[in-house]
Amino acid sequence: MNRRLSILLLIAPSMAVLLGVFLIPMLLMFLLSLQDEAEQFSLANYLLLVQDPYYLELLWRTIRVSLWTVLCTLLLGFPVAMFMANASGRVRGIVAVLILAPHLISVVIRNFGWVVILGEKGWINETLLWLGLIDKPLRLLYNELGVVIGLTDAFIAYMVLAIATSLYGIDTSLYKAAAILGASRIRTFFSVTLPLSLPGVVAGITLVFSLSMSAFVTPALMGGSSVKVIPVIAYEQIMSTLNWPLGAALAFLLLGSSILLVSLFARLVETKRYKEVFTA
Amino acid sequence: MSSLNSMIDVELRNIQKRFQQNVVVKDFSLQVERGEFVSFLGPSGCGKTTTLNMIAGFLEPDEGDLFIKGKRMNGVPPYKRELGMVFQTYSLFPHMTVAENVAYGLKLRKVGRAEIEERVKRVLDLVKLPHVRDRYPKQLSGGQRQRIAIARALVIEPSLLLLDEPLSNLDAKLREELRDELKRLHQEIGVTTIFVTHDQEEALSLSDRIVVLNHGCVEQIGTPTEIYNQPASEFVHTFIGKTNKLSGRVTAVAAGRVTVETDGGLTVEAGEQRQPFVAGQRVHVFIRPEKIRLTDAGRTPNGGSGQLVMASFLGAFTECEVRVGDHLLSVKVQMVDSTLNLNPGQTVGCSWNSDDVLIMPAARDAG
Repeated sequence: MNRRLSILLLIAPSMAVLLGVFLIPMLLMFLLSLQDEAEQFSLANYLLLVQDPYYLELLWRTIRVSLWTVLCTLLLGFPVAMFMANASGRVRGIVAVLILAPHLISVVIRNFGWVVILGEKGWINETLLWLGLIDKPLRLLYNELGVVIGLTDAFIAYMVLAIATSLYGIDTSLYKAAAILGASRIRTFFSVTLPLSLPGVVAGITLVFSLSMSAFVTPALMGGSSVKVIPVIAYEQIMSTLNWPLGAALAFLLLGSSILLVSLFARLVETKRYKEVFTA
Repeated sequence: MSSLNSMIDVELRNIQKRFQQNVVVKDFSLQVERGEFVSFLGPSGCGKTTTLNMIAGFLEPDEGDLFIKGKRMNGVPPYKRELGMVFQTYSLFPHMTVAENVAYGLKLRKVGRAEIEERVKRVLDLVKLPHVRDRYPKQLSGGQRQRIAIARALVIEPSLLLLDEPLSNLDAKLREELRDELKRLHQEIGVTTIFVTHDQEEALSLSDRIVVLNHGCVEQIGTPTEIYNQPASEFVHTFIGKTNKLSGRVTAVAAGRVTVETDGGLTVEAGEQRQPFVAGQRVHVFIRPEKIRLTDAGRTPNGGSGQLVMASFLGAFTECEVRVGDHLLSVKVQMVDSTLNLNPGQTVGCSWNSDDVLIMPAARDAG
């Protein structure tokens, strides 16, 4: 048996599964999205999505919430990743376990935890009221802030681990070299640490952004009726309104815009220098 | 004031450093003159790198004072010390081109664009690599990288250049080439330099003075010839170059000359020593292999005859082992001064000058 044939045979089972449960259903979904209520071929669903300001606002809200989540995970995650990079192997392991441990619990339960904490009677509002810093409870839930808090909690581990992995690869004598050449710690961070961690940052941003765009549970639980995002509306169209074609079209709108934005981002980042420095 | 003499660029006064309970640098004092090339030489763990890191500011001494150009530097962070440093691992910034790496320190000093351009060009010419300015470090060979690292350190015109084993990561031939390059650069620029190495050849060939360190203690400070020919301790003698070590007892001391009867049955006469000895004292006798001459068997003034056990021809010289009495002496023979046939088993004579014999008290052990 020749080599190529044996490789084909080896990947055949997984290819068959992918084809059966992923590609074919997706194709069927796509055909479904091209039907009107009378099951005739029509572009009406897509035309509705691009013409109705409601759906454009929906798309923009989904992207906006995802971008805020990316920003929060990046700003909160980078210091943690740096801490891990500077720590001993033992401490790194402990921190990694601490970061991943919450993922052992269903995201539904974690989000309910946040609902308890952030609610009007939650300890954050109670404490702030008691300290007299505010005179009525802050609205931390059922708005975009609540969704961003929930998503940040859900996805920050991906950001931290992606950045930490790329920080591990930086030769620490580079920091010494920068210092002896006259760079303060802040200067060293912006001229050495940050640029050299870019592959991790890019991976983290891409992961967290795609995950946030398609997140359903957290926006549904922590956004309430006021922060509906595409996955939530698509769900409603399919499960409640029973407008499957529109739900399918929404799903493809989400997929298309995620792919477009992620590849635009990659284009933007992967300059000539980036490729020279980071590709082997 | 650190010193009345303004020609002192670096001064260490009773520097001490502990890591937990271990004293890694003990009571280190040194003055380095302007333009001097000083090496810290010793085995790993001797405290040489720790001391260099204290001079650079990456570590703080627990006790003692450090002065650079007359200013006390204790507590001053590395980025305010105005030093140049070259690391064992090159440590070029991989995301910057050669020119950007070299310009980094100048940009931090807010040097103007045109002047940066000019100085980068000049220093790349100095290290003979003007053509690589737009390449990234990974596109350079090890030797080229280290030259660029040197250029990057020199371009800021540092008050002091620190070299942390800069040649250790290079292969033998390149190491020698870059060693000569360092020597040339130092002669050309005359920047005060502190060089850390565990390689005695590098230290001997480059330095104006060598500081030999062992277990955090300064064993000896001296010129390469002093270190080689008049070692202050057995450690210095054995660390720098190969040697023959014979145990014995002093039988006579007269007019500065010491006579030792070795346990293996040899009588060795030695010239004047750095320290006094008394008859009956247990001592070690040291003779370097290249100081021993092989002669035809027979009477030799200072030495003895024995059997040639092994001879390995190494091109420039031949390494021999000769059994004299109960001693196995290693002898380095330059072919120019020998017409002997070196056949194992034959009887040969070994002789040496009494001035080339070093005697150390036996009680003090190496290390």
